[in-house]
Amino acid sequence: METSFALTGKGYVIVAADTTAARSIVKMKVDEDKIKELSSHLLMAYSGEPGDTVQFAEYVERNIRLYQIRNLYPLRPSAAASWVRRSLAESLRSRNSYTVSLLLGGYDLATHTPNLYWIDYLGTSVEVPFAAHGYGSYFALSLLDRYHDPEASLEEGLATLKRCIDEVSKRLVVSPGKYKVKIVDKDGVREVEL
Amino acid sequence: MASLAHPQQRQFNPYSENGGTILAIAGADFSVIAGDTRQSEGYSIQTRYAPKVFRLTDRAVLAVNGFAADGNMFVKKVKQRLEWYRHAHAKDMPLRAIARLIQTMLYARRFFPYYVYNILGGIEEDGTGAVYSFDPVGSYEREACRAAGAASSLVQPFLDNQIYFKNQRPAPGTSHPVHLPLPTVLSIVIDSFTSATERHIEVGDGLEIYVVLAKGRNLQGLEGIRGMQELTVTEDGERVFVVRRELKKD
Amino acid sequence: MSIMEYNGGSVIAMVGKDCVAIASDLRLGNQALSISSNFQKIFPVTDRIYLGLPGLATDVTTLRERFRYRVNMYTIKEEREIEPETFAHLVSSTLYEHRFGQYFIEPVIAGLSKTPSGGVKPFIAATDIIGCLNFAKDFVVAGTASSKLFGVAEGLWEPDLEPEDLFETISQSLLNAVDRDAFSGWGAIVHVITKDKVTTRTLKGRMD
Repeated sequence: METSFALTGKGYVIVAADTTAARSIVKMKVDEDKIKELSSHLLMAYSGEPGDTVQFAEYVERNIRLYQIRNLYPLRPSAAASWVRRSLAESLRSRNSYTVSLLLGGYDLATHTPNLYWIDYLGTSVEVPFAAHGYGSYFALSLLDRYHDPEASLEEGLATLKRCIDEVSKRLVVSPGKYKVKIVDKDGVREVEL
Repeated sequence: MASLAHPQQRQFNPYSENGGTILAIAGADFSVIAGDTRQSEGYSIQTRYAPKVFRLTDRAVLAVNGFAADGNMFVKKVKQRLEWYRHAHAKDMPLRAIARLIQTMLYARRFFPYYVYNILGGIEEDGTGAVYSFDPVGSYEREACRAAGAASSLVQPFLDNQIYFKNQRPAPGTSHPVHLPLPTVLSIVIDSFTSATERHIEVGDGLEIYVVLAKGRNLQGLEGIRGMQELTVTEDGERVFVVRRELKKD
Repeated sequence: MSIMEYNGGSVIAMVGKDCVAIASDLRLGNQALSISSNFQKIFPVTDRIYLGLPGLATDVTTLRERFRYRVNMYTIKEEREIEPETFAHLVSSTLYEHRFGQYFIEPVIAGLSKTPSGGVKPFIAATDIIGCLNFAKDFVVAGTASSKLFGVAEGLWEPDLEPEDLFETISQSLLNAVDRDAFSGWGAIVHVITKDKVTTRTLKGRMD
């Protein structure tokens, strides 16, 4: 089943999402990138109803880009989270709503702080030190309660993420095989291999 | 004719809910067991005086709440078992034995339960005040206090605060008392029921407070209580009293 | 599954002597799974009015934004701050506009209104999800722990409490109520509003 994690540390946010695209019991694809790079310092992991996910993620991506083109500066993470949240909240009370879960991780260049937002399909948005979506959250959140440190170095942060991924692999019956991991910090976004 | 063409379902529901609330608090050498006297079904009041608290022996009082018919039947059967015990052993059953008896009797009906929450209060063989609380199928535990029934969600957190001193820190160099004195307990009981009466429609009319005193304990703390009635049968043992109070009738 | 219990959370407001207090827990959950221990449900509307919004979390944010917009528009048009009574009716009509497609929120309003003599008068109110107003003289409660809050507050509250005593009363009421509620808790926040200042305190509570 689809799983995504994210955690903040000293000056960075790590976002991880599994890479499987499944339909019913069949794995259709095992190298799907489910983390969009919305801007130079903004990442968004998305999961949920197949179809809705890519459609909504691309809608967000284009609008965030449009804002940047129009205003010559990008939306800050908190502003982007507000916009995405409102899009989902308005969608929820429309005839066809998007069923998408998001983790929005960004580095705020104005305050020099890492920001992470947990957003669900209802339009619930909350800033958190760490977050998870999917069945993996039932395992990862308790681990993160124990091991998360907002002052941790990137190496320590990745080690904590590894714990989460390993635990899910070990205990979840329908665990995903591979994850894509991306980081955002003052230097921007980049992908890392675990 | 049309009705014959379609399959019909009929159901008999053997249970009902009759509202009300019960509550018990254990002290060091006493126990207080209380209940309101309103009995209702839906928005109708069936009677303003239907006791929910019963003297079993001189050292045991049982409060039953939930489905009144089941409650009355259950008390009747417990009393019968206690009488048989008296005939067989020429003494009253100890409190902890009554507690286990109630568990057995409730669990015997595991698949057609008595729809009642029981709270048993009284004096243990070692002379300490005790409260036992039960769920409808017999899970039970000894506690210092417990509320059950319609307004239990209103009363229990209040008791956590006032009896267990939850979320309160003692003044430096002091500690919270393990057992409260009788007058304090009686005030808390009366406050609990007036509060529950104010905010819950199924609670009110009258209040019956049973007080069980340990063997040899003086009446300290009960002197100023008006209209107190003694129900003790045996001599030189534990003593049972009942105090009746009015509650709002709206 | 009840929508009102989907995210959990509770709010209470109380009247004191020339002061009011409003408090809430800080939990945000997805049914039994806790997501955040720092989800604010109480928002300042003016310097003297606070609004608590327990219920479905998405509507907490949506309504907060909506009320911020409508209060700003009021302030600009009227060239004065909104009064608590007026704001309560604004809340009520905003919710009733959505009578047949509700916001799943039970708002709680706490504030101080101005008297003609230049003093202040405590004001609290609450509404149901479609905006039926309840102007209480003592306290109002809402959220998943409302029945527990009613019980404890009814037992602890008394008239004319000074700000510090009101703080203790509302804090104890909230803490002991949410400790008996599986959907509320995970920390609490209390605001005490007096004539010349608002005191905000974050409480340490049970984290289970």
